[in-house]
Amino acid sequence: MPRSTSAAALLLILPFAAGAQTTAQPAPVPAGPAIASLQILPRDRSMTARDTMRLRVRALDAQGNEVPGAVIRFNRAGGFFEGTVENDGLVRSGSTGTLPIVVSATILGRPPVIERLEVKMLPGAAHHIAVTTAVSTLAIGQRMRYLATAYDNGNDRRDDRVLWTSSNPRVLTVSRDGLAVAVAPGAAKLIATAGTVTKEVPVTVAARRIVSLDVTPASADARTGDVIRFAAKPMDAAGKAIDGLTPIWSFSPGQGMIGADGGFVGYEQGTYTITASFGAQSAEATVTLTARDVRRPLEVVGRSPKKRFTTEEVWLHPNGKVAYLGSGSGGDLFYTLDISNPANPIVSDSMVLNTRRVNDLMTNAEGTILVNTREGASDRKNGIVISSLSDPLHPVKIAEFTEGMTAGVHSAFVYTQPKFGTHVYATNDGTGAFHIIDITDPYKPKQVAEWRTPRPDAGRSLHDVDVQDGLAYLSYWNDGLIILDVGNGIKGGSPSNPVIVSQYKYDLNDLYRQVELAGGPGFIRGTHTAWRHKNYVFIADEVFPSSGVQGAKDASAGRAYGRLQVVDVSDYANPKSVAFYEPEFGGVHNIWIAGDTLYMGAYNAGFRTFDISGELRGDLRAQQREMAHLNTADMDGFVKNAAMTWGVVVRDGLAYVNDMYNGLWIVRMKPKRGITP
Amino acid sequence: MMVRGALLSALLFATVVAGSHLGGQALAPKVVPAPPERTYTIAVASEGTDEISIISFGPSGASVVTRVPIGLSVTDPDGPHGLAVAPDKQFYYVSTAHGTPYGSFWKLRTSDNTVVGRVTLGNFPATAQITPEGHLAFVVNFNLHGDMVASDVSVVGVDDMVELTRIKTCTMPHGSRLNAQGTKHYSACMMDDLLVEIDVATLEVSRHFQLTKGKEMGMAGAPMVMASAGSHDMSGHGMTAPAAGDPACSPTWAQPSADGRKVYVACNKTSDIVEIDVASWTMVRRIPAGAGVYNLAATRDGTKLIATNKRGQSVSVIELPSGRELARIPTTRRVVHGAAVSGDDRYVFITVEGIGSEPGTLEIIDLRTLKTVATVEVGQMAGGVDVIR
Repeated sequence: MPRSTSAAALLLILPFAAGAQTTAQPAPVPAGPAIASLQILPRDRSMTARDTMRLRVRALDAQGNEVPGAVIRFNRAGGFFEGTVENDGLVRSGSTGTLPIVVSATILGRPPVIERLEVKMLPGAAHHIAVTTAVSTLAIGQRMRYLATAYDNGNDRRDDRVLWTSSNPRVLTVSRDGLAVAVAPGAAKLIATAGTVTKEVPVTVAARRIVSLDVTPASADARTGDVIRFAAKPMDAAGKAIDGLTPIWSFSPGQGMIGADGGFVGYEQGTYTITASFGAQSAEATVTLTARDVRRPLEVVGRSPKKRFTTEEVWLHPNGKVAYLGSGSGGDLFYTLDISNPANPIVSDSMVLNTRRVNDLMTNAEGTILVNTREGASDRKNGIVISSLSDPLHPVKIAEFTEGMTAGVHSAFVYTQPKFGTHVYATNDGTGAFHIIDITDPYKPKQVAEWRTPRPDAGRSLHDVDVQDGLAYLSYWNDGLIILDVGNGIKGGSPSNPVIVSQYKYDLNDLYRQVELAGGPGFIRGTHTAWRHKNYVFIADEVFPSSGVQGAKDASAGRAYGRLQVVDVSDYANPKSVAFYEPEFGGVHNIWIAGDTLYMGAYNAGFRTFDISGELRGDLRAQQREMAHLNTADMDGFVKNAAMTWGVVVRDGLAYVNDMYNGLWIVRMKPKRGITP
Repeated sequence: MMVRGALLSALLFATVVAGSHLGGQALAPKVVPAPPERTYTIAVASEGTDEISIISFGPSGASVVTRVPIGLSVTDPDGPHGLAVAPDKQFYYVSTAHGTPYGSFWKLRTSDNTVVGRVTLGNFPATAQITPEGHLAFVVNFNLHGDMVASDVSVVGVDDMVELTRIKTCTMPHGSRLNAQGTKHYSACMMDDLLVEIDVATLEVSRHFQLTKGKEMGMAGAPMVMASAGSHDMSGHGMTAPAAGDPACSPTWAQPSADGRKVYVACNKTSDIVEIDVASWTMVRRIPAGAGVYNLAATRDGTKLIATNKRGQSVSVIELPSGRELARIPTTRRVVHGAAVSGDDRYVFITVEGIGSEPGTLEIIDLRTLKTVATVEVGQMAGGVDVIR
């Protein structure tokens, strides 16, 4: 590497050899031409994904001559999960996307000259085509839109327009865009083409012509939010059903959605017409929806305001008479509250720990021990603390576990399996690893397993853990929802040998594009919490803009964003998001489900409850499933006049709601109000 | 936030405090601290509360002028750690250590404490310093929480707030400083017992130095550091006393002398300071310090080296070139962290983290009288500190 300035530095040091103790001056700006520009080649900065490309740079003076001694460096300025660049300009693409690169030329004592460039990493040539319309039988006269996408050899989607042709237009015609029309009985192949790649879709046109069509049920009465499954029964001239045919479903008027499976959900009360179409033949059904009518009033039963620190997790002892409440923002304790009289919760004890945040705490099912997390310990050991609950009102610390968890533990879940004992399932703030610690002997905790998502360390972050029926539901931020077998047996897993069952990953950047537009890039977003219920996993995202409201004075003006998704895991191999909730203002944080009610701490959106009875599909807010709302703001809170509802624990009809700014609220949902004519 | 510096300093200025509990040991001269002749402005980063405290210290005492929130996350800690003021005093810079997993380096305008830039760096960005001409920042990526692998030093072009390169050094690069000439950068690697020298002209590691007691040796080029399969234990980040006879240095800070001819390295485990001759790249001596010596600072006139003693709950003021400890001054709270000397060499500003919900503190020591003259409470886990003016 060039060392033209080393001599200058040496000259500067030499005068001090005489032993003078005087302050040295900065190295002088070297003589010689300054760098005026950088010539970067190649000028076309696009490359094929998963390939390499060499960037070359010359530092030029104002006359276009190369400046000797300039130190050239390349550095990645984003795209941390998509590619790398070496100091010598070698770009290695790991995926499709855009890799921002900073190129700098530096001479000691002078400001670096910087150029920013973007390398476009594009999919390779079309390798295969995936057809997403799984319809192989059509009736004469039926129309069907076929959809297909081209991919490269790394399964990266290409933007090619897939063109369609038919092998036998006398049987089946198709437009270039894939709209097929069954003309006559027989067999044909629809041929999708992208570049040099083709994909054939065999289609049979049934010999029998559809003469009549029934849609069942012909009429239905339901409430908004109820999922009604319609079925189409095409019949021939003899009145016999023609099996294997798939209609196109639609509805009007009104708001709602209908899937390819005929499942309909409406959002507003009224009468909807449901249509099944086979081209020339179509049939209708009607459905009349009444309002869901689940709204209920709330009653605040009791409160325990806290404003010395922020309030973190709440947990109830199995006896229902004691609550534990964490603290954050410098909080070094958790409180024990006597809630035997919910109208008057009384702090009975507190435990001060070497921490600056007790983010999570939880007892075992028997209520004999309590585990709390630590973040911000002065010795930076953090980890978890285990306390005896011989007297639930006065926990006594009996052990801690810190090995490998120096960065802090954000969440911990205590779970007992008769076959395997009691374990703590914990997150690691620093590595994003999932730790499983055996506390069957709570005095001698020992780690039995550590699991990480198989991906580069960058971007691996684990935020929360839920364990039910031997399956751990991990909210893995950038990696979405991960389900591990930790004893269920579905994949042969155990606490000491967690085995992945499923992953549901989604495009967070696309989902929260408006947050980036509002507050700039680099915003907070990730899969934050998960809760298994029936055949669903409810997942909630934590989303905050990267900057506050400009000109606003304090935190009251800030806000969260977020979406709750309902993921159907009936088929673990193919988890799919079927419903969602997104508040108009505020976020979605921790949830609790009891019976057919979902309780939610929604940050700025306060405390909310939802009716989740029956099958779930579509926009839960639009279909009027929200039951209750409480604004947990307090004019004397940690942050005044602002709700920051964290989560909730439900017991015996009471919701114990913790608010970061305003402490504990004890709330009851009251029966529906009677309507007085 | 309580501010009690003004009261304390007023008492000190008004009273003869020879032998005061706030003063040094017997070596300290028994003189009355005179109040400062001008007002100093100091910035302190509080890792536990995600804020920067701007403190004014002048003839009427010391107080927190404003607190500046810093960080991306509303609900999770960002952990401001390193703090550096630009030579022209127009901007100051703060590293936030926590992320998912990468931390950030922030640029704030001193006139109104407004954030004017941010760049994402590596794992747990910590100690930071700006080069004398003001164009580059060197920030160590301490990588406290991951596997024990070699980490690096980020070089940031602060005019545009872009990271220019990362220079791989060794495991857990910690306290680092540029020499006054701006030609060399020194960082200490806690887990490898190494001092690493970076040539600022070439942006490459030029030499390294083994610091283990009895094995001190200077070597050319970059160290060969293998990933450690061992424990993550780093002795409670300098808070746990080492086993008897442990020769490991566990270096936590590298401080060049004012003339650039020496480098002083704080050995947290052996509680002494290794003095290295830069020209010959050999050890000169080991200077005894307080328990768990942690951060260092040097006066610009080259006559004093100040050491924070993390386990000793004290600050050592060491005379140079003799190496004699002039005073060991106790601090009011535990976990002593950073040190920054005023531009006129009159005061040294010491940060103390505290434990749990204890406030952090900025303790101000008069380097003439070797007395603590003011203490100001700031946000918890006070660490990075620098003097704005």
